[in-house]
Amino acid sequence: MKHLPKHLRPRWRYLAIELETWPDERIGRRSFQRELWYAGQNLLGDPGSADADLTVMRFWFADGRGEAIVRVRRGETEPARAALACLDEIDGAPVGVRVRGISGTIRAAEENYLRRRGQDSEERNVVFGNEERVAVLRDRVGDVRLDEAFAGATDLDYDLA
Amino acid sequence: MYEAVHAHPDGQSTVARLAKTAADYGFEGVVVRNHSDARADYDPERIRDEYGIDVVEGVEIRTDDRQSASGAVGNYRTTETIVAVHGGTNAMNRFAVEQAKVDVLAHPMAGDGDINHVLVKAAVENGVRLEFDLSGALRQSGGRRVRTLQSLRKLREIVDHYDAPYVVSAEPTSHLEVRAPRELKALGEEIGFTREFIEDGLAEWGRLAERNRHIHSESFIEPGVERGRYEEES
Repeated sequence: MKHLPKHLRPRWRYLAIELETWPDERIGRRSFQRELWYAGQNLLGDPGSADADLTVMRFWFADGRGEAIVRVRRGETEPARAALACLDEIDGAPVGVRVRGISGTIRAAEENYLRRRGQDSEERNVVFGNEERVAVLRDRVGDVRLDEAFAGATDLDYDLA
Repeated sequence: MYEAVHAHPDGQSTVARLAKTAADYGFEGVVVRNHSDARADYDPERIRDEYGIDVVEGVEIRTDDRQSASGAVGNYRTTETIVAVHGGTNAMNRFAVEQAKVDVLAHPMAGDGDINHVLVKAAVENGVRLEFDLSGALRQSGGRRVRTLQSLRKLREIVDHYDAPYVVSAEPTSHLEVRAPRELKALGEEIGFTREFIEDGLAEWGRLAERNRHIHSESFIEPGVERGRYEEES
């Protein structure tokens, strides 16, 4: 079909999203999109989520950290923000979500708000709570592997063994 | 704006990690509200200096009988800046709102707890803040979430009517559960609050901490009586 003249095309806003989870969890683009749509539908209802759109345009994930760009209709960014805040688990992995910024183009959102940092994490032995543990360290924070789960910590909490 | 957090061992992340995350997200401070049976071990000064965020020492007293709760309030009142009571049963809700020494009644609507006009009036009289706990709206789903939203609405209507003091928190137990103030305001707007209401409730923790620190400080003797500067004899 012939595409719409410019003044009739929807105006989009692009939300730059930062994702975080525990180091051994993986999040795929499809499951992120699915959970995002569910979150939108549960909070905003069908009409609200239709208005918000919430399509995932870009997605990167590695080593427990991720970034995404989500498309939202202009004027619906606040409901979209609320829906994003309600994402708490993706495929059983607890996730931290944060909107880093909003732009009018994908490119501006990427350049201004997403770093696509080289995620140089390393596994080290640390002493946490008087016991020697393995921790995944990056950027002055670390996730310490306990018996069953992880504990989120920073450089102030452990000593390198 | 302040967030009130459950840190390791009550939650999954340490105070330092929660404070760093909260600082990144734009909060001005965190209140450590570990339950009285899972206290955290941390150095607030060091965290404050490292991440540039205020760390308020607090406690959430969790017990089911009034007698031990009353003892705990007395014990913690002198050492902790903010004393909260773990609500959610009618007995503890009633206990907390009738104690002027209690700062915050946490999640009064959780579990089978309920609030009515009598309790809210008592809370106004004793200056006990009622907490709006957004964790259910953020992390539950289905019918349970509907019930949580209903109870938030009920609490909001009564609090609005009596102009009762309140606080707002998302009760994160790990750094992954922290949500930025803007996100919480957007969520609040979706579930029937105003942005100002949420902002005010988040800021109230800070005002409470400031007031209590002032009361604990050495210059304060009793309400209306303070040690001031006096003229030196020449």
